Amino acid sequence: MNENDSQPRSTAPLALHVAGASFAYAQTPALEDVTFDLRAGEAVALIGPNGSGKSTLLKGVLGLIHRTKGTVEVLGESPAPAGAVGYVPQADELDPEFPVTLEQVVMMGRYRSLGWLRLPGKRDRAHVAAALEAVGLAERARTRFGELSGGQQQRGLLARALASGPRLLLLDEPFNGLDQENRNALVDTVKRLKADGVAVLVSTHDLELARDVCESVLLLNGGQVAFGPLDEVLSLENVQRTFRSVGVELDEHTVVVPGHTGH
Amino acid sequence: MDAWGALLDAYSLPFMARALMVLLVLSLVAGIVGVLVNLRGLEFISDGLTHAVFPGIAIGFVWGGREGLFAGAIVAAVLTAVVLAVLMRRAVPVDAAIAIVFTAMFSIGVIVVSRETNYVGQLEQLLFGRLLTISVVEVVQTVVICAIALLLVAVTLKEQLFRAFDRTGSSAVGYRPFVLDLVLNVAIALVVVAASSAVGTLLVLAVLIVPGAVARLVTVRLWLLFPVAAVFAAVAAWLGLSLGYLASVGAGVNLPSGATVVLVLVSGYALALVGRLLLDRVRALRPLPAAVR
Repeated sequence: MNENDSQPRSTAPLALHVAGASFAYAQTPALEDVTFDLRAGEAVALIGPNGSGKSTLLKGVLGLIHRTKGTVEVLGESPAPAGAVGYVPQADELDPEFPVTLEQVVMMGRYRSLGWLRLPGKRDRAHVAAALEAVGLAERARTRFGELSGGQQQRGLLARALASGPRLLLLDEPFNGLDQENRNALVDTVKRLKADGVAVLVSTHDLELARDVCESVLLLNGGQVAFGPLDEVLSLENVQRTFRSVGVELDEHTVVVPGHTGH
Repeated sequence: MDAWGALLDAYSLPFMARALMVLLVLSLVAGIVGVLVNLRGLEFISDGLTHAVFPGIAIGFVWGGREGLFAGAIVAAVLTAVVLAVLMRRAVPVDAAIAIVFTAMFSIGVIVVSRETNYVGQLEQLLFGRLLTISVVEVVQTVVICAIALLLVAVTLKEQLFRAFDRTGSSAVGYRPFVLDLVLNVAIALVVVAASSAVGTLLVLAVLIVPGAVARLVTVRLWLLFPVAAVFAAVAAWLGLSLGYLASVGAGVNLPSGATVVLVLVSGYALALVGRLLLDRVRALRPLPAAVR
């Protein structure tokens, strides 16, 4: 740990470099002027109210929505090198009736490296098994995805991202509605990934989680409110500016905003 | 009368053998493509395609006769598939646009055919097929078109499944939704074209949609869906064709073969649905083992 907080805490290589980036859906600006860096083995928490641009930023990094200006580089390259970025969507956006097993979902993480006609082989199955092991769901491999609990589904989607061996992991509200057990399992996995040098960008409402796994915080509200080391940036004043409400309270667990459910 | 003996005799008749051949190839391929239609929820789009391909079939028919209609149909099918893929890029619902454009296309087809002599007879054949008068050339054309559709789906199968399960996740790893949609739409359109002579452009919808729906009722195992749909479709095709023949020879009742096949398909779906509901009820009554609770 570096004793001087105003200095960069790490000299690990840059995993993600975003400078002056703005994103838009069709002609509608969605997120303006974002600048931050994320180094290998570190994590940045994206915090902001609904519609503040957290998902937009994740999709912008993935190249799924139009960048109107600025720079986004993954491992120094733009667009991102193939297979470098793993994306974990929110499990509740998926159809629970879809006839796939957990194992088959995780195998989807291998498709890209397989190419078009090839079917998964021994090596791919080993990657899938390792990814399931990493999220603690090895014994549920053959279970139908929709029969897993919400938290297990979320961990399964994390395993899918891990199966492709990403250097940068993007997590979209992974802790929404998780029970303590699943939450702990997810936190443990993310910490282990960071120790292995994976960079993590995670959008969340859960400040405790941000404190548990993130070095830095990026506060968003249609644009960048603040970015920096967690202890400095996560002040009541900043959070009030982010949520544009003076009624906001800050406790250990969550951002409490009147009329805002946290989902 | 010995029905089995009669059937064996029936399929030694060249026109019956050709009908069976076309139906089997068509149902196998439509069954497999239909699983993707089901998993993607593209039933409405497929319905639109059946209408939109019709003017191409009509124009091909008017210009090239029965064996020329495939050329016109393929042009219309590919064009429509492209238009659809473009429409599907927009996140907003496009149902109204699809319905309007495709009914317009269908009307154009009807007007084109109406310029022909024996308008009603021609229209009926194009809409509902003429399974028992298919020529050898048409059999070959159908097999080739089906083979292309099958190839398109086979090459992109795992990517299509990924997209069906998780649209954003699939784009996130770099699959282009437009390309996948275009390939699937062309495959569906080709099945519609291939079916036009056998069961007609309207009834093909049943061959595309029912087997996939039956497979979903029968199994939750992903890789079983495809063989279940294909085998179910093929058995229904054989049964429908045989029933039509037996009714005609044995009872003197003239059943339109394409429609008979469709009714057998739908009956099979009804059976599968009842079976599924009963099974679910039995499972609900039985207490779960402690480990599952």
